[in-house]
Amino acid sequence: MAMELSNKMSREIIERIKEISGQDPYLCMQCGTCSAGCTGREIMELLPRQVMRLIQLGNAQALHCRSIWVCSTCLLCTARCPRGIDLARLMEALRVINLRLGREVLVAEKIPVELLTRVPQMALTSGFRKLSA
Amino acid sequence: MKIPYFPGCTLYNKARGLDNSTRASLAALGVELAELPQWTCCGTVFPLARDNYMGMVAAARILAGVAGEGEDRLLTVCSFCYNVLKRVNYEMQHNLEARQKLNDYLEENYGGEIQVVHPLEICKEDVGFNAIQAKTSRNLKGLKVACYYGCMLVRPALEMGFDDPENPTIMEEMVAALGAEVVEYPHKTTCCGSYQVLHENDLVRQRVRDILNSAVAKGAEAIITSCPLCQFNLDWLQEKILELNTGFRQIPVLYFTQLLGVALELPRESLGLEQHYVDPRPLLLGAMPPLR
Repeated sequence: MAMELSNKMSREIIERIKEISGQDPYLCMQCGTCSAGCTGREIMELLPRQVMRLIQLGNAQALHCRSIWVCSTCLLCTARCPRGIDLARLMEALRVINLRLGREVLVAEKIPVELLTRVPQMALTSGFRKLSA
Repeated sequence: MKIPYFPGCTLYNKARGLDNSTRASLAALGVELAELPQWTCCGTVFPLARDNYMGMVAAARILAGVAGEGEDRLLTVCSFCYNVLKRVNYEMQHNLEARQKLNDYLEENYGGEIQVVHPLEICKEDVGFNAIQAKTSRNLKGLKVACYYGCMLVRPALEMGFDDPENPTIMEEMVAALGAEVVEYPHKTTCCGSYQVLHENDLVRQRVRDILNSAVAKGAEAIITSCPLCQFNLDWLQEKILELNTGFRQIPVLYFTQLLGVALELPRESLGLEQHYVDPRPLLLGAMPPLR
């Protein structure tokens, strides 16, 4: 039976994610290769495969899960996806939809000073670009 | 041979050792790096959102500026800079919309003509590992080295065109040419956690511990990398890892250019070996020329 999305909001979310990422989430066949190699898998409440499933279903939970902020954009999932999906771009789309609404997770004031003064500059610029609004 | 050089912001601050050892070791191989007269941050990360053209502006401006000087290559060593410059260059070549938008904004006419190169590629293709081998004094004989590529050098494979994304070997080829012993281990292209060190510190420490333990278990005495953020995570997080794990064995993590410099017997003050958390100097003591 064909899967039907009755909810208008679901369709809007899917279209927005597809537009920003340039990826087709429906290519995903749920094999889990992305999740097996994922850098952040141990602390993700939803593995990349599960995030992909939520996107396919237009479930807004994909936008509010911790996993998208744990992603380190290392591109292991992208490199290994047998369906050729650039998963990192889909994770980025979920982040930027949040960031453009001002929802961020990395706040400068909350970074411990001893870490802040030690890390290479690139950690700060990359971290803020990916995780702060 | 003279090549335009983009150091990047971290190499002017926390990773001076990478900058100094890159310049010194390439100079010893007959490659002069001509730092760009003016440069800005490359943007650090390639924007993965299709509509984020602003995230590509800085890199596009740098590349267009180099092309405007009549150059055909640009060298950079930091893995993040290399990744961003090369990916933005790829977009300028293949993504017509991005090319037009960025050129309109920058008032340039750049189409991706510059070739972005990494010192490892220069060592292999321009200088040649055989020529490098002939210049070394075999002072690293017996030293067991694990090569760590991380993410940014090799992925994504198509755009980076650097080496095999799952099993790159260019750094190992260099280590062999330097007379040291290559240690194979399964984590050379896994991610250290990158900028998550600021946000998910425990996760990064766990990833780093896995990578280090794996290399040490295979007999590695040192790890080399080309990324200042990998270097920081793999090196400086060892303090806390040791605190939490009594059986943990620390291991020096240095830049490949520092190892190259030691093999070429460059003055040790030009290599920045004193800037690491786990001091690599005791391990390399026998290989080092005396302080001048």
